[in-house]
Amino acid sequence: MSERELEAGLESDVKAGRGMAASGRAVVEASGVSKRIQSGSTSLTILEAVDLRIAEGETVAIVGSSGSGKTTLLSLLAGLDLPSTGEITLDGRALGALDEDARAALRAGRVGFVFQSFQLLGGFTALENVMLPAELAGYADAESRARRALDRVGLSKRLTHYPYQLSGGEQQRVAIARAYCGEPRILFADEPTGNLDHDTGERIVELLFELNRVGGTTLVLVTHDMGLAARCGRQLLLSQGRLLT
Amino acid sequence: MSASASSFGAALRFSSRRLRRGWRSGELLILTLALVVSVASASAVGLFSDRVRRAVTQQSGDAIGADALISSRDALPQTLVDELRATGLRTARITEFASVVLSGEDTLLVSVKAAEAGYPLRGALRIADAPFAPAREVREVPGVDEVWIDVRVWQTLNLQPGASLQLGESTFRVTGVIEYEPDRGAGFTDLAPRALINAQALPATQLIGVGSRTQNALLLAGDEPALQAVGERELPAGARYLRPDKARPEVGRALGSAGQFLDIAVLAAILLSAAAVALSARQHGQRQRDEVALLKCMGASSRYVGWVLMSQLFLLGALAGLAGAAIGFVGQAVLAALLGALLDAPLPSPSLVPLLTAWGLELILLLGFALPPVLRARKVPPIRVFQRNVGEDRSLVVGALALGSAVALLWWQAGDPMLALSVLGGALGTTLVLALMAWGFVWLLTPLRRAGRTALRFGLGNVARRRGSSVGQVVALGAALLALLLLAVVQRDLLDAWRNRVPPDAPNQFLINIQPEQVEPLQAFFTQRGYRDLQLWPMARGRMVAFNGKPVTADSFDDPETRRWINREFNMSWTASFGDDNELLEGQWWTAADAGKPWLSVDDYVVERLGAKLGDKLTLTMADREIELTIVNIRRVKWESFKPNFFLVTPPGTLDAAAGMAQYLTALHVPRDQRGLLRDLIREFPNVTAFDIEATMNQVRGIVDRVVQAVQFLFGFALAAGACVLLAAIENTRAERVRETALLRTLGAARRTIAIGLVTEYLVLGLLAGLVAAAAAQIIAWVLARQVFELPYSWSPLLWLFGGVGGALLVVLLGWWSLRKVLDTPPRVVLASAN
Ligand SMILES: Nc1ncnc2c1ncn2[C@@H]1O[C@H](COP(=O)(O)OP(=O)(O)OP(=O)(O)O)[C@@H](O)[C@H]1O
Ligand SMILES: [Mg+2]
Repeated sequence: MSERELEAGLESDVKAGRGMAASGRAVVEASGVSKRIQSGSTSLTILEAVDLRIAEGETVAIVGSSGSGKTTLLSLLAGLDLPSTGEITLDGRALGALDEDARAALRAGRVGFVFQSFQLLGGFTALENVMLPAELAGYADAESRARRALDRVGLSKRLTHYPYQLSGGEQQRVAIARAYCGEPRILFADEPTGNLDHDTGERIVELLFELNRVGGTTLVLVTHDMGLAARCGRQLLLSQGRLLT
Repeated sequence: MSASASSFGAALRFSSRRLRRGWRSGELLILTLALVVSVASASAVGLFSDRVRRAVTQQSGDAIGADALISSRDALPQTLVDELRATGLRTARITEFASVVLSGEDTLLVSVKAAEAGYPLRGALRIADAPFAPAREVREVPGVDEVWIDVRVWQTLNLQPGASLQLGESTFRVTGVIEYEPDRGAGFTDLAPRALINAQALPATQLIGVGSRTQNALLLAGDEPALQAVGERELPAGARYLRPDKARPEVGRALGSAGQFLDIAVLAAILLSAAAVALSARQHGQRQRDEVALLKCMGASSRYVGWVLMSQLFLLGALAGLAGAAIGFVGQAVLAALLGALLDAPLPSPSLVPLLTAWGLELILLLGFALPPVLRARKVPPIRVFQRNVGEDRSLVVGALALGSAVALLWWQAGDPMLALSVLGGALGTTLVLALMAWGFVWLLTPLRRAGRTALRFGLGNVARRRGSSVGQVVALGAALLALLLLAVVQRDLLDAWRNRVPPDAPNQFLINIQPEQVEPLQAFFTQRGYRDLQLWPMARGRMVAFNGKPVTADSFDDPETRRWINREFNMSWTASFGDDNELLEGQWWTAADAGKPWLSVDDYVVERLGAKLGDKLTLTMADREIELTIVNIRRVKWESFKPNFFLVTPPGTLDAAAGMAQYLTALHVPRDQRGLLRDLIREFPNVTAFDIEATMNQVRGIVDRVVQAVQFLFGFALAAGACVLLAAIENTRAERVRETALLRTLGAARRTIAIGLVTEYLVLGLLAGLVAAAAAQIIAWVLARQVFELPYSWSPLLWLFGGVGGALLVVLLGWWSLRKVLDTPPRVVLASAN
């Protein structure tokens, strides 16, 4: 796919209004989801009876106090782990029926991540880190995609730098470029601004929403930042493992 | 363009990219180093020992003047010679027979050897122009009208320079005195003095006719395959094929020990490399887990992850295999250059086959030790990106695989499953002992957790707090130190002792033909010249005619060696004292009171040949009388002493009937600058013959020396492998220590406090490991000395000192070096990059 075709494709998506729709096709659905952890003889319930539906192109913030189960919910929605009960559907596929590799294959090229602690590969340059998801998805033009993505986050001059040579904000921009590069339909972010100062956090948030605006990518954010949460189309409030809204 | 993420090519690209900076983590470097060392050692060992073995075989080939020979009573047919030549072998026929030479009126019985051009095929004759004149090396046979003779012929016949000798119908000019003849057997006392002539001159003497008693041999030299083929072919009736390691007992024994030394050195290097590979691979696997979780998050399948992990290892393995082979090649070349000056003949050029063996070995290392722990990381679930403790594991499978591979490894290298299993059993037992001792020591430290000042407490506390990891580390460090200590012990003590088994003052002169009435004057002669306590052995000849009352001849036995042996006359002796170079295996030695009893003491060679046991009776004819003797004890002679020794010995007085005809012989060490003494001796006792066996002795010493150097070189690789284990053990906890150190400094601990704490901890670990290693080294060295080298072992208290103090210092130095940067960089940087 050439760059022009890509841009054209994205614009047609936007024109069709898919990027804005809150009532479109569901990309993530959870019904009756709970998560229990057995440690020794005591059983700990982390999530209880969670039902939710996130439509394509939506921006959703998951908020709640520390320990309320936000990260756990996010990881279940992304298929990183399986719920104790209930069913989760990602991009139309029921995760319960898939083994770990099949879930990974489902994520490849569809799901992007941005983490609070950046999670870049220390042995890889910025460019190589960004190329990774595109390569995993089997795109032949992984490198040119990665260069464009880094350009979009303003790091075209730092391609050959390693993570330890970058500041925290720069590392998070590399992480976002990495998310761009795979052109995910859905992006999960766990406190993407948690480790950054306010201004830098603003820029990161800007970049995330741009992905949603231009590419129609669904955003699911976990955050403590109420300002950020308010910019999202919808807020889900978790309290002691239960969804209140 | 779907999720073809599992494609091997992508994984390969990924992992090669990854390796570019993967060196930064020490464990990959150590893993590679260990692989390089193992390939380098296996290939150097393979290449070099292959060459040494071929050279040593060639050198011991000197001892028969060939690589192999076919011996026969009858002349060997020309067709056989032609056929063997057609396979690429060089040949030379020799014929030996007893005859009389004439010089004017005098006659003398000699052993004539007629040799074809080309003789000797291996080694060289040493020929002098006159008796005791300087000799030169000669690799040819005399001219058709020439004869070379032993000094005994010269002396007995009172020859002058330019003399001639008549042999049968021909006359020969004496053009050389034989100082050394490579293929003269060890049984020199059997032989009349030598006269060597050209085989072309033999027919003209008319000495060889139908029915004459000759001994014929066809000497062979050439490639190993061609030589082996000879062993498999049909030979004329009565012909025997002999290889040198079977022909001469003392050379054979040196070769046997050489093989064992080389094997031990190789196995040590390989086992240590395996330990280093396993340690660093385990750590590498653990370090991969975060990355694996992230890859899976982004959609990588476990198959793809498996490919990544595997191709990474195999890329490393390929690099290490090439580097190791190159080092191995250079190593054996350097060694060959060093040893070249010592060699008579150049080492054969290396063959590349040992490289394949070395790479095969590396493959076993990779598949058995490196891959399983690394591949465990493949199982890490993606949720680990959020929960760090997920995906930690311990696996019995990995341990079992490593164990199986160790067996395969040892088997592959040693080529003997029993040896592999017993070495492995030894290694496992040692590890267990190390672990028990380490656990005990660490347990003893527990009360010290709260003792001492802050920094000390921190250091000691760390050892006691992390008991499991401390024990593991003491075992790993201990195993490495153990290897280093053992190498030092084996190299210094055992190899030296082995080398000195042929003592420097071993007799180099044999005097034979001493008449009974000359015993006392001869002793006086030597006492005057400062040689005290000269021992003389009486010697009489006998032939065995019955065994346990049943008549025997050579035909009573199937074994050709026994037949040959029975056919000869035995040299017998009698003595009251037990030789210090003898070992009593069974029965009792006699006392002076047993003089005259019909008893017999035999070397275990006789036991082997006859299947004899204590109480068996041998009937011998001696001087026309029959005498029946009962075996009362069995000895083993250490032939390396080079003193006269006899297979058959009786108490004094038993062989009185034969004693009148006895001759005496003695052996003594005459330093080179006192050789003039021998001339005086011959003048005063003209019938006594002096035999110089220095050349034979030096031959045996030369082989041993060469092997010792080879072994020391090979142990150098084992040393490098031991160092890898040491580094891997230290590296194993480095990451944890780096994070901890940075944290402590962030929390305000002074640099000095942390430094003292770390040094204390490493000091204690090193000390424990050193002590544990010293204890184990003593035990193993003892077993090695007794079982392999057959030497007494002296317990060395110094070993404890070296082990404990040396171990502590070494570990502190290495530990300090591995953490030096951490103490000098600001904690912020350390914490940032530790993420
Ligand atoms: N593997 C586990 N074992 C035991 N308890 C767990 C495990 N994983 C999560 N928990 C518990 O589940 C609860 C929810 O954890 P989670 O990480 O989802 O919280 P969170 O909402 O993301 O909190 P924070 O805002 O602090 O990141 C916490 O109380 C946590 O201690
Ligand atoms: Mg969280």
